Amino acid sequence: MPAIRNQIRELRARLEMTQQDLADRVGVTRQTVIAIEQDKYSPSLETAFKVASALDVQLEQCFQYDPGGKR
Amino acid sequence: MSVSLSYREKTLYASLAAELVVYVPYFFLHQQNSLNKVAGMIVAIIVLEIVLQLAIAAFTRNRVTDERDRLIELRGYRAGYLTLAFFMVAGLGILWLHASVGRIQLDNRMMGLHFLSVFFGMLVLADIAKTAAQIMAYRRAL
Repeated sequence: MPAIRNQIRELRARLEMTQQDLADRVGVTRQTVIAIEQDKYSPSLETAFKVASALDVQLEQCFQYDPGGKR
Repeated sequence: MSVSLSYREKTLYASLAAELVVYVPYFFLHQQNSLNKVAGMIVAIIVLEIVLQLAIAAFTRNRVTDERDRLIELRGYRAGYLTLAFFMVAGLGILWLHASVGRIQLDNRMMGLHFLSVFFGMLVLADIAKTAAQIMAYRRAL
């Protein structure tokens, strides 16, 4: 399991938001959203806050840290 | 799952294609290199890069770059630097080895051009390694 996991896909689906919509709101590429959703890329703290804000949730509802996870 | 290419990825593929199209004929198809050919190669790579990058910019609506692009760019530069350092050390080692047994004469008229080709080749390999490392990072998501 990766060290940082996220619920972006589920939260996005709840808001019926596409990956491109989220990318535009956060100011990143759609490929970066895909990489974050697949737990292949851990975003910077600033981007993580922007993602949570765009999804209208608190940071910890969007991202979770697993100390035992691999990175 | 198919993933479309970002603007940065497209420019990287174009750069790699331009590098291969220009450098492979120079280093592998020509037996006799000259200063004119070096100059021609530099002009060719610059013109080809400009044409390809303009075409990509014209046909790509979303030209956003972000923190992941910058991270991947840094990884590419690290790969390029390590490649250059490796070939420089290897090249100097080979040079020292040949010079110590008298197999090369440093006052030879063609030696300068030979060195130019070798060092330019190292730069080219480092540049290709940089671009390839960036493309690999994108394909692996990072």
